[in-house]
Amino acid sequence: MTISETALPATGAGSTRRVPGQPDMWFFVLFETLLFTAYLGVYLFNRTQHPVLFLHAQAQLHLWIGAVNTIILLTSSWVIARCVEEARAGRFRSALVKAYLTAACGVAFMGFKVSEWVVEIHAGNTFTSNDFFSYYYFLTAIHFIHLLIGFVFLGVLVYQLRSPQRRSQIMVETCATYWHTLDYLWILIFALLYVVR
Amino acid sequence: MKRPSVLEDPKRELWLAWYATIVFYNIYTIVFFILTRTQPPGKPWYGPEAVVGWFDGRHDGLLIGFALIFALGGLSATSIALITYSIRRMSVSRAFAYSYLILYAVSAVPGFLFICVVMTVGAMRPDRSPATQQWLYDLGFLSFSGTMGVFLVGSLIWMLAILLDKNGVFPKWFGYLNLCNALTEVVVAPSWIFHRGAFAWNGVIAWWIDVVVFGAYTGVFIYLLRSLILREDFGTGPLPDRPPSGPARVAEVAAS
Repeated sequence: MTISETALPATGAGSTRRVPGQPDMWFFVLFETLLFTAYLGVYLFNRTQHPVLFLHAQAQLHLWIGAVNTIILLTSSWVIARCVEEARAGRFRSALVKAYLTAACGVAFMGFKVSEWVVEIHAGNTFTSNDFFSYYYFLTAIHFIHLLIGFVFLGVLVYQLRSPQRRSQIMVETCATYWHTLDYLWILIFALLYVVR
Repeated sequence: MKRPSVLEDPKRELWLAWYATIVFYNIYTIVFFILTRTQPPGKPWYGPEAVVGWFDGRHDGLLIGFALIFALGGLSATSIALITYSIRRMSVSRAFAYSYLILYAVSAVPGFLFICVVMTVGAMRPDRSPATQQWLYDLGFLSFSGTMGVFLVGSLIWMLAILLDKNGVFPKWFGYLNLCNALTEVVVAPSWIFHRGAFAWNGVIAWWIDVVVFGAYTGVFIYLLRSLILREDFGTGPLPDRPPSGPARVAEVAAS
């Protein structure tokens, strides 16, 4: 199944497929999970080496910004799940609207994230300030890059939905799977960077 | 069905390139990890005197190892050529193949050859001033590790070609693996800033995790290139499935 693949019939809720979308995308999800597990494992190990420094630096983060971003991304995941449902039901116009709403949530997330970086930099907390902020900028930036790639997938999704000649349900689900991956990676980052003490 | 002799086998050039790729990656591993011990990389926080000691401890290995690279490093072209061939075999524009070929040919200079030249220069005159030796040491490792980003676009081109291809040259999951590999090339960038820790050029994130990903990626693409050669029918349409092997192959030969 490819990005260029055209018009497959939409599959109903009773489909016997094992996973939504391309199984190949699930391989990507697995590999990225392993990679982020490694990154977060390194972060947690360093945290155990310098618990006071990490705790003090962590307290300077704005928890509410992280929480708002988490809500935004969770909302985007819900919206894109609705988009998949609408596409399955053949309501492509509604699915298209939900794809745009997902993109809007993504833009809002990016806006809050960049604002947070600006606030932290103005507070003197830069990439090289201390180990905690090195990890903070690294993890949030690498997630940000994944989010930018997510917009490419949303572009593919919109491209699929816009024309009756395309509308591959598998591609719609593949794009949604990528977007959900962004969501759950962010939840891990949010929990470990902002919340866990 | 009689198997063609080597001289008659239309795939002999492809096999030659594939085996040359295997030879290259073996030489690469032996030279960088055993002879010169430039991988894993030296410590970024070494002062001038420590760097002089580092060069002294590897003097012969650096000269012999990198002499091997200067003689045989050109074999790296075979893997680039095979990958370019694989893209040409896809249903996508040839622009993908040409872009990949040019990008990797250019990227090999900072990302592969520069460290060999610079470290050999360092080993050539061990009595040079420690400050100069440290400059060469930094230049060598930063050119090798810090410029990984130059391979990024090449990986993305290969990824896009695989995802758009309708000839089934590679499985789509390998296209996504290219994306994973490309993303790990981004995380090396902080090695220009940090002298120690996970983001330094020998750090857990900037080097160790990346080298595991790159090792897996390399092993996978070498295997998939072999599979491509086995399936190649020299046509322009979808690649056929792999011919049977083992008992199924014996049964097929017996039946013919």
